[in-house]
Amino acid sequence: MPMYGLPPGLVNPPRPLPEEDDGEELPWTGKLGPAPGTLILVLIFLAAFAVYYFANWKQLSFLWRIG
Amino acid sequence: MRWIHRVCPVTGLKIDRQADLLIRAHGVAATVALLIGGIAAVLVLLTRWQAVHLLDAVWFYRILTVHGLTMLIFFILFFEMAVLYFTGPVLLNSRVPAPRVGWAAFALMVAGAVLAEWMMWTGRADVLLSSYVPLRAHPLYYLGIILFAVGALIVTFQFFASLVVAKRERTYEGSVPLITFGAATAAIIAVITLGHGAGIYIPTFLWSLGLMDVDPQIYRMVWWALGHASQQVNVAAMVSVWYLLGALTVGSVVLNEKISRTAFVLYILFISLASAHHLLVDPGFGPAWKVVNTSYFMYMAVLASMLHGFTVPAGVEVGQRLRGYTQGLFGWIRRAPWGDPGFSSLVLSVVVFGFVGGITGVTIGTEQINMIVHNTLRVPGHFHATVVSGTAMAFMGLTYYLIPLIFRKKIAFWPLAKWQPYLFAGGMLFFSIFMSFAGGFAVPRRHWDITFSNAPFDLQFSPAVDLVMGVMAVGGLVAAVGGALYILITVWSVFFGEPIREGELSNAHVRPAAGAGESATAVA
Repeated sequence: MPMYGLPPGLVNPPRPLPEEDDGEELPWTGKLGPAPGTLILVLIFLAAFAVYYFANWKQLSFLWRIG
Repeated sequence: MRWIHRVCPVTGLKIDRQADLLIRAHGVAATVALLIGGIAAVLVLLTRWQAVHLLDAVWFYRILTVHGLTMLIFFILFFEMAVLYFTGPVLLNSRVPAPRVGWAAFALMVAGAVLAEWMMWTGRADVLLSSYVPLRAHPLYYLGIILFAVGALIVTFQFFASLVVAKRERTYEGSVPLITFGAATAAIIAVITLGHGAGIYIPTFLWSLGLMDVDPQIYRMVWWALGHASQQVNVAAMVSVWYLLGALTVGSVVLNEKISRTAFVLYILFISLASAHHLLVDPGFGPAWKVVNTSYFMYMAVLASMLHGFTVPAGVEVGQRLRGYTQGLFGWIRRAPWGDPGFSSLVLSVVVFGFVGGITGVTIGTEQINMIVHNTLRVPGHFHATVVSGTAMAFMGLTYYLIPLIFRKKIAFWPLAKWQPYLFAGGMLFFSIFMSFAGGFAVPRRHWDITFSNAPFDLQFSPAVDLVMGVMAVGGLVAAVGGALYILITVWSVFFGEPIREGELSNAHVRPAAGAGESATAVA
C-alpha cells in the first residue's frame, strides 16, 4: 500500500527473487531473448540515430552552401 | 574504538554514523550549489532569449561564469562525493576510514567554492567556466578552484581507502557490488580529472600572480582533460545511480555482471582521451591525433554507454517479468511504478541522455560536423541533455530515496514530487532539442546579443531562429520550475519534514547493492 511521502520502493519493495539458478530457460524467452521489449526499444533508438544523422547532414548542407 | 552505526530497516545495511553525516553535509552543499546555479541559469536564459534580453553584457558573462562553474563543478561534485560515501562505506556495510579527514576535505571544498563564488559575483572572474588563458581572473578565483579540487581528491582517496577497509574487515562477500564498482570507476576518472585540474590551475594561478607564463594551446589541451573528463565522472556516477534506482524501485536484475563491469572499464580507458574533441578546430594538433582520439577512442566510450543503455532497461524488464509482468512486449513497462519519482527519474534520465545527449554527442564528435557547429548552441544543446537531463535527473531521483533512507524524513509535497521529474525532464527535452536546432542555424554559444546591435557589421540569421529560441526559452523555464520544485521539496523535507516513525518503512531487506544480491545469471 503506497504511503504518503514515501517512495513505493521503500514501503512496498519489489518481491525478492529466488537466489539459485536452476538453469531452466525463462518461460517468456523466445526469438528476441530474455528482454524482448528492450530489444525493440534499442531498435527504435538505432532508427532515431539514423534519422537524426542524415537529417543533420541535410540541414547543414542547406544552411552552409559551398560556392 | 566503538563503531557507531545504525541498521537501515529497508536494506538491512549497517550505516556508519560518520558516513551518514558526511552524506547529509555533501547533499546539502550540492543543493545550495544547485540553487545558485539554477538562479544563474534563469538569468542567462532570459538574456539569450532576445525577446527579453534581461542582462547587460558585463552581467551576462559574469552570470554565465557563475552558472557554468556552480552547476558543472560544485553541484555535481558535491553530489558525487555524497554518492561515493553511499556506495563505499554504506553499501559495503563498512565505515569511513578517516572521518576527520573527510570533514577536512568537505571544509576545503566549501571554502574553495565560497572563494570562487565570491570572486565571480564581485566581477573579478568574468572568464567563463573554461577561463581560457590569456583571459585573466583574480588569483583567488584559481585558488578557490584548487582548494575545491584538492578537497574532492581527498574524498576520492577516502573512498578507495573504504574499499580496502571493507575488504580487510570482511564486511561483504565476493566481488564488490556493481554499483560500488561503477562508483569506483567514477572515482578513478575523478583522480585523472582532478590531476589534470591541478596540472593546469596551479600554473594558471601562478600566471595570474605574474610568476610564470602559460601557453594558451597547452592550457586548452590540459584544461579539457579536466573540463570534459569531469563530465565523464558524471556519466560513470550516473550509470551507477541508474543501476541503484532500478534495484530500489522495481528490483531490476543485473543481466550480465561481466558486460556491465567491462563497460565501466571502457570508460576508464577511453573516455578521458575522447576529451580531444574539444580541440578538433585547434590548429596546434595534427589530424591523426584528432581522428584517433575522437573517432576510435571516443567510440569505445560510446560503446560503453550503449551497453549500459541496453543492460539497465533490460535489467528492469527481466526484473519485472520475473515478478509476473510478462504480458506482451511492453506489459513490464506499462505496469511499472510511474508514480514513483525514483523510477520516473530513472527512465527519463536514460531516455533523454541516450536519445538526445548520446545521438547529438556522437554526431558532433565527427570532425567535419564539428568544424561547422563548433562554438554554436549545438554544443550546449548536447551537454544540457547529458549533464542536466541525464546526470542531474538521475541524482534527483536518487534524492527521493536518500531523504527517507539517510535523513529519515518523509518527502514533503508528495503529489508535487511525483510530477517533478516529468516537469523537469519535459522542459529540458524541449530546451536541449531546440537549443541544438538553433546551433544548426549557426547561433553562437556564449554570446550576449545575436542581433549584433551597434556592431560595425550586420549578420542576419534565418527567421526560424526567433521561433526556435522562443521554444527553447519556454522549455528552459519549465525545467527551471521543475528544478525549483526539487529544491523546495528537498529543503522542506530535510529541514521541516515529518520524521519517519518506527515501522513505517518496510523491513523486507531490499538489496540495493545489485550484484551482491540479485543477479540475472539465471537469464544469461
